[in-house]
Amino acid sequence: MLLRLTGIQKRFGGVTALKDGNLSVDSGQVHLLLGENGAGKSTMMKIVAGLQQPDGGDLLWKGEKVSFRSPSEAARVGIAMVHQESLLAPHLPVAENIFLGREPRLPFGWVNRRKMMEAARRLIEEHRFPLQAEWRVDKLSPAGKQLVEICRAIQHGSSLLIFDEPTSSLSDAETQEVFRIVRTLRERNIGVIYITHRLEELRAVGDRVTILRDGETVHTGELSEIGNDRIIQHMVGREIGSVYSRQPLPPGRVLLRVNELSRRPLLERISLQVRAGEIVGLAGLVGAGRTELCRAIFGLDPMDSGSVEIEGRPARVRSPREAVEQGIALIPEDRQKTGLATALPIGYNLTLTDIRKVSRLGWLIDHAAEKKICADYARRLKIRHESFWQLAGRLSGGNQQKVVIAKWLVRGARVFLFDEPTRGIDVGAKIEVYEVMDELARSGAAILMVSSELPELIQVADRILVMRQGRLTGELPGHATQEEIMRLATLQDGGGMLLGDNQ
Amino acid sequence: MIQRLLPFLTLIVLFVGLSIASPDHFLTKTNLSSVVRQTAVINLLALGMTLVIIAGGIDLSVGAILAIGGLLGAMAMEKGLPIWLGVVIGILVGGFWGVVNGLLTTKLKINPFIVTLGTLGIIRGTTLIISNGLPVHQIPQAFSFLGEGNLLGVPFVLWVLVVCALAVHVVLEHTRLGRYSFSIGSNPDAAYYAGIPVAFHTTAVYAICGMLTGLGGMIEASRLMTGQPTAGQGYELQAIAAVVIGGGSLRGGEGSVIGTLVGAFIMGLLANGSDLLGISPYLQQAIIGAVIILAVSVDELRKRKSTS
Repeated sequence: MLLRLTGIQKRFGGVTALKDGNLSVDSGQVHLLLGENGAGKSTMMKIVAGLQQPDGGDLLWKGEKVSFRSPSEAARVGIAMVHQESLLAPHLPVAENIFLGREPRLPFGWVNRRKMMEAARRLIEEHRFPLQAEWRVDKLSPAGKQLVEICRAIQHGSSLLIFDEPTSSLSDAETQEVFRIVRTLRERNIGVIYITHRLEELRAVGDRVTILRDGETVHTGELSEIGNDRIIQHMVGREIGSVYSRQPLPPGRVLLRVNELSRRPLLERISLQVRAGEIVGLAGLVGAGRTELCRAIFGLDPMDSGSVEIEGRPARVRSPREAVEQGIALIPEDRQKTGLATALPIGYNLTLTDIRKVSRLGWLIDHAAEKKICADYARRLKIRHESFWQLAGRLSGGNQQKVVIAKWLVRGARVFLFDEPTRGIDVGAKIEVYEVMDELARSGAAILMVSSELPELIQVADRILVMRQGRLTGELPGHATQEEIMRLATLQDGGGMLLGDNQ
Repeated sequence: MIQRLLPFLTLIVLFVGLSIASPDHFLTKTNLSSVVRQTAVINLLALGMTLVIIAGGIDLSVGAILAIGGLLGAMAMEKGLPIWLGVVIGILVGGFWGVVNGLLTTKLKINPFIVTLGTLGIIRGTTLIISNGLPVHQIPQAFSFLGEGNLLGVPFVLWVLVVCALAVHVVLEHTRLGRYSFSIGSNPDAAYYAGIPVAFHTTAVYAICGMLTGLGGMIEASRLMTGQPTAGQGYELQAIAAVVIGGGSLRGGEGSVIGTLVGAFIMGLLANGSDLLGISPYLQQAIIGAVIILAVSVDELRKRKSTS
């Protein structure tokens, strides 16, 4: 046994990313690690690679208990990771990246460049990689960059290689190349852990499979002994529970209409409409184009063609400013980066969208009115805070999200684009966010809600649109099953299984 | 809390310390007036810089803007225009270059450090070309009142400074522009996503900084009674230092008028005190440098403590 994980736990603040992670990998074995977005796959692998430290559980390497405090400690015993986003020095040539930190030395600390180049060339030839040792890394395709990382791992003599969704950004031909390499690694008796969404092709190389759901290992076994339907069931089959249920409203008139919106190659002729009082879910895998659609409607990215109508009138949305003036609000995926000024007081954040509302003559801020508005909305959304002046960054995730929502209420927005509104917030706060969304719908707002959590979509949305590879692939009623959604999100037109985006 | 007040305490300690160390010279009206006159120009530049730094920018061209404002204002007076119009011209020239800085940063999306490093050279070069490198001397005598005159027993520049400081304070704390400056400096993406016209307000901030600098240029010209094309060299660093000592953060979103004034006066008193105590001007520079590092590290420590 090369690597064995038992009962691994990891928490980030109040959020539990891993509850009970278990996994064993042998040498010369390709082990698939599957699970929904946020199931804990990447976290578990980061722990193995020393990027994060577990809060509980045991990590056994070749039978001995170990703990890695840094990636270099994991690398020293022979564990290497090929990352989703390349971690290379872009301005350096391939050879220098392969040897980064372990350059062959001459006396006085000089780098033996000739020896390094030769060794890199030998390595590339031996594996028949389509690379040149002299090429600069920033000129390479994503696949090329991954090859460099693989070379680095081989050069360092790693006995376990972790691939974190390596094919999500690759073309078909490049994917085949990666699979060929995985096979050669297996022949050289190297252990491989492969995190992926794509299932069908990997049956060609995968040996065993472990499925994570909500931070727990729910299944582990031979890949040949389990069908794709069972795998999907394991991935999504959690108890939904009846913690939250929503009474749909009779929908009103159409507030948001999107006509044939295209932004190639990310979005292809998307048409949809959302009525007042309606919550429409938008499902799909990472990279399906859901966030990109919200960005285009909100004026963050230009569209190639198509149009947006608000309340039946054509709306010009070439910038967020124009979108905001049309009554559109975006609650972005990444709260900390684009939703909040975390170093500013809560009150400042709340009135950011409409400071005029609390100003005299349109420019002189009326601090009393501002405080009152903030207190009103904090009460209405149950934002637990100390004072107007508390910095937004010091609130809990759920309360931060409520501040982001509240600032749009202050503005009086009518069309809400929620992009992963409950990501990274705990269950109790999630339900409060649903309640806020429900209240919004009841007051006549139109809501488009992107979520990767299928149970959440099923609970909250009145109907669910599914996207795959930049297209709408179907519409389901709000009470659809997770399997139905997953099928529309993953099935290629030919009927083959594609668990992931194939851009 | 005590650490937030540290700049004030430092200023008070300096003041009391110097009063004790040099009672005959420091606490005299002549000396204190000269401290005010000497620091007024840096103070004005630092007020504009406070706005720019809060909005997440930086302006390295203020020294050069000061020179071109002072020069063109003086030239206008030399050509026979009234004094008030000369001053207005100096201010508007400053504002113009501020707008240029703002447009370059927002439209070309170039880092403001680079933009203003470039305009620093362009403006200084332009000033030298216009003046042929020669100072302008033919200025009406009455113009010296701006920099050297007294009103109600205190230097006139102190009144100018107080009015400007109040105005900038009101802008920062009580107007939309000020609020947007904090937001843009704190998180430009969040501000953009909230529908704020980020480019317009950023440009406005640079323009105000430019106008305050132009006014500083006229005061400098009045004190020297010349339009000096080489005036203001290195002032940008003193202005930045004043903001930073007063609690401003080069990451944006933080800073205050009162902090900046305190920062500028700390530097002014350090220079004045060193003169009075016979400390070499070479050592003075080193002391001020050390104070900058000390002030910022104390501030960092405070922030780290409050976030953890």
